[in-house]
Amino acid sequence: MNVLLSIAFDALAYGMVLFIICIGLSVMMGLMRVINLAHGAFAMIGGYIASYVAGPMGWGYVPALVCGVIGAALIALPLERLLYRRVYGASDPLVQVLMTIGLTFCIIGATNFLFGSAMRAIPLPALISGPVDLGVRTVPAHRLFVIACGVVIASGLWYLIERTSFGIRLRATVDNTGMAGALGVRTDWIYTATFALAVGLAAFGGAVGAEIMPLDPYYALRYMVTFLVVVSVGGAGSIGGALVAALLLGFVDTTGRYLAPNYGEFFFYLAVIAIVFVFPHGLLRRGA
Amino acid sequence: MTAALEVQSLCRSFDGIVVADNISLSLAAGDRVALIGPNGAGKTTFVNLVTGTLKPDAGRILLAGVDVTAVSDVERVRRGLVRTFQITRLFPDMTVHEHLMLALLQRAEKTGRLFASLDSFKDAGAEADDLIAQLGLAPVADVKVRALAYGHQRLVEIAIAVALKPKVLLLDEPAAGIPHDEVLRIIEALERLPADLAILMIEHDMDLVFRFAERVIVLAAGKIVCQGTPEEVGRDPAVRAVYLGSYASRDRDALGPGPTVGRGRA
Amino acid sequence: MAPIPGRPAASPRPGCRSRGVPGRELVAPTVVAILGALAYLAFPDDLAFFTRIIVAALFVMSLDLVVGYCGVATLGHAVLYGAGAYAAGILCVDGLTDPLLLIAAGSVAGVVAGLVTALVILRAHGLPQLVLSIAVVQLAYEAANKARDITGGSDGLSGISPGPVFGLFEFDLWGRTAYVLALVLLIATLVVLRRVVRSPFGLLCRGIKQDPDRIRAIGGTIYGNLVKMYALSGAVAGLAGGLTAVTTGVVGLDSVSFEWSAEALVMLVLGGAGTLYGALVGAVVFTGFEHYVAAVDPYHWLFVVGALLIGVVLALPAGLGSLAAWLRRLLPQGAP
Repeated sequence: MNVLLSIAFDALAYGMVLFIICIGLSVMMGLMRVINLAHGAFAMIGGYIASYVAGPMGWGYVPALVCGVIGAALIALPLERLLYRRVYGASDPLVQVLMTIGLTFCIIGATNFLFGSAMRAIPLPALISGPVDLGVRTVPAHRLFVIACGVVIASGLWYLIERTSFGIRLRATVDNTGMAGALGVRTDWIYTATFALAVGLAAFGGAVGAEIMPLDPYYALRYMVTFLVVVSVGGAGSIGGALVAALLLGFVDTTGRYLAPNYGEFFFYLAVIAIVFVFPHGLLRRGA
Repeated sequence: MTAALEVQSLCRSFDGIVVADNISLSLAAGDRVALIGPNGAGKTTFVNLVTGTLKPDAGRILLAGVDVTAVSDVERVRRGLVRTFQITRLFPDMTVHEHLMLALLQRAEKTGRLFASLDSFKDAGAEADDLIAQLGLAPVADVKVRALAYGHQRLVEIAIAVALKPKVLLLDEPAAGIPHDEVLRIIEALERLPADLAILMIEHDMDLVFRFAERVIVLAAGKIVCQGTPEEVGRDPAVRAVYLGSYASRDRDALGPGPTVGRGRA
Repeated sequence: MAPIPGRPAASPRPGCRSRGVPGRELVAPTVVAILGALAYLAFPDDLAFFTRIIVAALFVMSLDLVVGYCGVATLGHAVLYGAGAYAAGILCVDGLTDPLLLIAAGSVAGVVAGLVTALVILRAHGLPQLVLSIAVVQLAYEAANKARDITGGSDGLSGISPGPVFGLFEFDLWGRTAYVLALVLLIATLVVLRRVVRSPFGLLCRGIKQDPDRIRAIGGTIYGNLVKMYALSGAVAGLAGGLTAVTTGVVGLDSVSFEWSAEALVMLVLGGAGTLYGALVGAVVFTGFEHYVAAVDPYHWLFVVGALLIGVVLALPAGLGSLAAWLRRLLPQGAP
C-alpha cells in the first residue's frame, strides 16, 4: 500500500513536470505545425539560468524561476524570427525535425562551453525542501509544489485560451490562419507570442522539474523524444490531451521503473505504440 | 447492352447536409456526357463517390454490369474506371515521360518489378512517346512537371488517363484554370480520345460542354434537376433558374444550340 | 503554353537527353571503386576508419530507400541495422564462422526487422509515424539490453571471430581484408540499388512519396509497396550491420539505438535525400568530421554538426551533394 502510494505520488509529480514542459510544445505544434525537437533545449536553458541565478548569484528561488522563464524566452525569440519562421508548416516534417535537432546540438554545445558538463542543481528554499506529513505518509514538499504548479498552469492556460481575447484570436489562428488574418488578427504577432509562451512554460518546467529531471548539457537530447511522444500521444494543440497524456505516460514510466527496473523504458514505449495505434490523432484531438 | 457505368440511387450526406440525393445515371460505351451545376451542387462529391474515395450512404455503382460499390478505389481503377483531377494532381519532380511510363507500367501491372531498368521497357517507352506526341507535349517530354505551364499540366492529366486505357473516364473540369484561348488544345485532346470510351465530364466552360457533350445532366443541391441534349437543357426554364440564369443574361450566345462537332468517332 | 499549330511534325527521338544513355549506371560505382582503391593505397593506416565510413554509407543508403525515395518519416532505422549486427554476431559466437554467410544472415535478419517495423509504423503518417518509429527502436533497444544472455546487454556482444573470407583471406590486424570486403559489398550494393531506384518499382515509390492519393488514382497500391521497399531497405541495413559485426568483432547496444537512427538521418539530410550518392557524401562528411572534431571535444563536434544541419536544411535543402550544382548556378551566366 505504501509502495503504491509512493509510486502514485512520484508518478503524479513526474507527469506534472512533463505536462508543464510539453503543453507549450503542444500549443506550438498545433498552431505553427512545427515539430520542434529543440523544445527540451529551451527547458534546459530555463533550468540553467535558474540554477545560475539561484546558485552563484544567490538571488533566491522565485527570482531564479522568473529569470529562467524570461531569459529563455529572450534567447528563443530571435531564433523564432531567424529560423523557425522559415519552416512553419513545411510540407516535409523531416525539414523541421532536422533543423530543430541541429539547433538542439548547438544549444548543447554552447551550454557545455558556458557551464561545463557537470550536473547542475537549483538550490531549493527551506519551505519546499523538507518533507511534508500528509497524514497517510510524508512526502517531499517539492513534489507537492510541482503538482500545485501543474494544476495552476493547466487552469491558467485553460482560462487564457478559452476566456480571453488573446485566446479567441489564438484559436481562430489555429483553425484558419488565412481567415484570421483577413479578420484583422495579427497572426505573425500571435505566432511570436505563442512561441514566447511555449518557451516560457518549457523553461519554467525545466527549472521546477530539475529535482526530477536532472540538469546537464545532454538534458536536451535525453528528454527530446519523451516530450515529442507526450505531445503526439495527447494530440498537438490540445491542453486536455497533453494533460492526460503526460499523467498517463508519467504513470506508466514511473510504475515500470519501480516494478520492473530492468526493463528501462520498455513499458513506456509499449504504451506509446498501443495508444498511437488506437488513437492515431491523439487522445483528445481538438475539433477533429 | 450493359452500361459501361451505371449509378443507381446514390445518396450521401455530411453532418445532415445532403450532397448526393438519389442520383441515378447510366453511361454506355462511347457516350459523351457532361455534368454541370452551380458551385456546391455536389459534382466533385459525385465523382469521389463513383471512384470510391467516398463511401455512399445508399445506392449502387456498377461497372460493366458488375456491382463495385464495395470494391476499393484502386480496384475500380484496375477495372477501367479512371478520373482526372480538377486541380492537377501530378508528381512535381517527375518528367512528363516518367508520368506516362508510370501510368503505362501500372496499367500493365509491371510496377512491382524491382531489378529491371526502366529503359528495358521499350514498348512502354515508345507508347509514352507516342502519347506525348499526340498531345503536342514532345518539346517538354523530359521536363519536370513542376516547371510546366498549367495548360501543359492539364494535358499531362489527360495523357495519364489515356495511358491507363480506361473504359469509363471521369473528367473533373479538364479546362479549369487555363486561359480561354488555350481551351482549344484541351478540346483537341478530348476529341482524339478513343471512340468507345464512355466519358463523363464535369465542366464550367459552356463552350466546351456544348462542343463536347451529346447529353447534359444538371446537378443542383445534390439532385439531378434536368437532363437532355445540350439544346434541350439550354432551353429548360428550370435549369436557367438554378444555374444558367445569370450566365444566360450575360452571355446568351453560349446557350444557343452549339455545334456538336466531331467527337473523334473515326 | 506555347501555341504549337497542329501536331508537331515528328516526335523527337525517344531516349533523348537524360533517358537511356547506355553505361550511365556504372559511372557512380566506378568512381567509388577508384576512390576506394586510392584510399587503400594512400592511407593504409586508416583502413578500419574507412571501413566504418563504408558501413555508415550502406546504412544511410538503406535509410534513403525509405526516407528519400518513399517519404516515410523514421527515426528508428537502427532496428534494421541492429538486427543484422546481432544476428551475425550471435551466429558467429554460436559457431558459424564463414563471414559471407554471417553477413547474408545479417541481411535476412534485417529483412525480418524491416517487415516488422513496416507493419507498425506504416499504419500512421507524419508525426505519429515518427513517434511510432522512435517507440519501435526504443523497444528494440530495451529488449536487446534485457536479453543479456544472448546479446551481452550493455557490455556488448564480443567474441565474434569469423574465419577467413572464402577460406583464404584472414581478417588481419590492419583491417585490409575487412576494408576490401566492405568496399566490394558497397560497390555491389550501389550497383543493385541504382538499378532498383531506376526500375518501374523505383518510379512507383517516387510517386508514392510525392502524392500517394494520385498513385491510388492510377491503380497503384501504397501499403504493400512500401512494405516491399522496407524489406529491401532491411536487407541493406542488415548487411551493413552484419558487416560491422564481422569486421569489428563486437556489437554494442548503440547499434539499435535512437541515436544511431538519428545520426543516419542527419547524414542523409546532410548529403541529400533521394539520391544514393547523396547518402554516400553524407556518410563520408559526417563520419569524417566526427572522427577529427569529436576527437578534440565531443561537445564542439555537436555544435559543428548542429550548425551544419541548420545551414543545410535552410540554405541547401537538397543536401551537400547538390553543392556543385548550386555553385554552378551562382556563377554569372555566360561567363568565359
